[in-house]
Amino acid sequence: MDTPQVISTVQRKYILDLLKQGKRMDGRGFLDFREVRIDDDLIPKAEGSASVHLGDSFIITGIKYDVGTPFPDSPDEGVATCMAEFIPFASPMFESGPPDVEAVEVARVVDRGIRHGDCIEYKKLCIKAGELVYILFIDMYVMNHAGNLIDTGAISSMTALLTTKLPTAKIEDGKAVWNGGYMLVPINQIPLSVTFGRIQDYVFVDPVIDEELVLDGRVSFAVNEKGQICSMQKSGEITWTEEELIKYSKIAVEKVNELRNKLNLRQYVPKL
Amino acid sequence: MTILIPEEYPKKLIDKNGKRLDGRALDELRPFSCKIGVLANADGSAYVEHGKNKIYAGVYGPREVHPRHLARPDRGIIRVDYRMTTFSVHERKSPAPNRREREISKIIEDALAPTLFLELYPNSAIEVYVQVIAADGGTRCASTTAASLALADAGLPLKSLVAAVAAGKADGEIILDLGDLEDKAGTADVPAAVRMIDEEFTLLQFDGEMTPEEFEKSIKLIKKGAREIFAKQTAAIKEKFDTVRKETEEENKKIEKLVPPEEKITHASGTKEEEKAGEEKSDKAEEIKEEKEDPSDTKEEEKKPKKEKEEKKSEENK
Repeated sequence: MDTPQVISTVQRKYILDLLKQGKRMDGRGFLDFREVRIDDDLIPKAEGSASVHLGDSFIITGIKYDVGTPFPDSPDEGVATCMAEFIPFASPMFESGPPDVEAVEVARVVDRGIRHGDCIEYKKLCIKAGELVYILFIDMYVMNHAGNLIDTGAISSMTALLTTKLPTAKIEDGKAVWNGGYMLVPINQIPLSVTFGRIQDYVFVDPVIDEELVLDGRVSFAVNEKGQICSMQKSGEITWTEEELIKYSKIAVEKVNELRNKLNLRQYVPKL
Repeated sequence: MTILIPEEYPKKLIDKNGKRLDGRALDELRPFSCKIGVLANADGSAYVEHGKNKIYAGVYGPREVHPRHLARPDRGIIRVDYRMTTFSVHERKSPAPNRREREISKIIEDALAPTLFLELYPNSAIEVYVQVIAADGGTRCASTTAASLALADAGLPLKSLVAAVAAGKADGEIILDLGDLEDKAGTADVPAAVRMIDEEFTLLQFDGEMTPEEFEKSIKLIKKGAREIFAKQTAAIKEKFDTVRKETEEENKKIEKLVPPEEKITHASGTKEEEKAGEEKSDKAEEIKEEKEDPSDTKEEEKKPKKEKEEKKSEENK
């Protein structure tokens, strides 16, 4: 990102003054998410897809698959990988080119939320142990950057995975061929994430872009339906105390459960 | 890549009744719709659905050129970055940019430049980013159509809009607006963009086999298709500015209600004691009501423009 991320001193002071009064620039409380809008199954050639708006943040995620060889340490398990690309029109700060460190961070944090915590049942993505498994590509495209891409990305990735229909395979002459049927991605748990931003001693969820530019640091938690934390990411040049981390991990579980219940993502599961 | 369901191409693209795979007539466009102002951050943006193509275009600029050595001291430059998402096509596309995307970016640059006044922006760049979310044949045309709309949405002065569509040949017939399978399995594909003000061509490619007579027929079909797309482009621009106008009118009405008449402003800003504030408010409300009911005010307002008109007339007479 060659264009530096800057914000005016006036705006910085305004955000801080509001926080001191217990307010935020868009009128939300410290623990309120922005409105979420979801459109599912919008891309005919993707196996699954979702378009998610979190406020003005806007991500389109599509799922494609490949049949390939499993990792040697998990020969009977499929694979899922996340990628995030910041399209230059999403923000005046973005430039074309290979994904920069921020895009990689978004992809990896979302990836870790999905990889752990019993989200996908990878054993059901195996066609022939040790030889052929499904490889799922979860590709996120940031269409508009208005802050908190990690949580937006998590919602859009999970929705896209839930909408996914994979062609089922049989083995013929040692090769995988289509047997005419389809299956859903076997999903046990729906992990979603919540990101806390911190400016001085003020901590709040779902920062908007202007708040992000002022942030001293942030910490993200992914939580599954069992109420277990399945990934964390501390970011920014600040430190957190033990008490703070414990406090916010507990709030994170509450907030994610609240968000998951509100969104009811399983409504997007297609009928086969 | 190993995919389980290979793409299959039909042998016949046009049936006995002269209908195409999706039931279209030979000279019929696919369903087309477009919208502008769809992305919050970009200076201008557009979304186009052309058949099953879904395309977003966003514009920034004119702004500083990076890297600097590309800047030209006598005029601005236009840069287009056409990209496809990995999931827009049947077999996952690699996320890295490829030669095809580079070439299409270049031809879209050349298609849009003749509509801009680039000499107005020395040392600057107008950057257009096009992202194909879903592809269904003819993405370069739909992208050009979308990019031109995004430039208009950015408020840049334009000589004209550009509308793009392909013609081609399949099963010996000349057809308009090739779909994905017609593009892949047909005998010729002629994507083109038309600058609508003079109907000159700003983008032209050709891939396949055709006689000059067939090419002539194709080019006429392209112009016909472009006119239909242009009508929808202008409608989309009007739609946005109609809603903006309605919003501003409504806001103006709200503001008119909020702002008290001049005399009351001085009254309120005076050093009156706070205790009287409540009384003042009720006074104001009554006065506002009176004003609404009082017809003399409106008459005065009506008189003003009349007077102005009379003055103008008298000037003209002189």
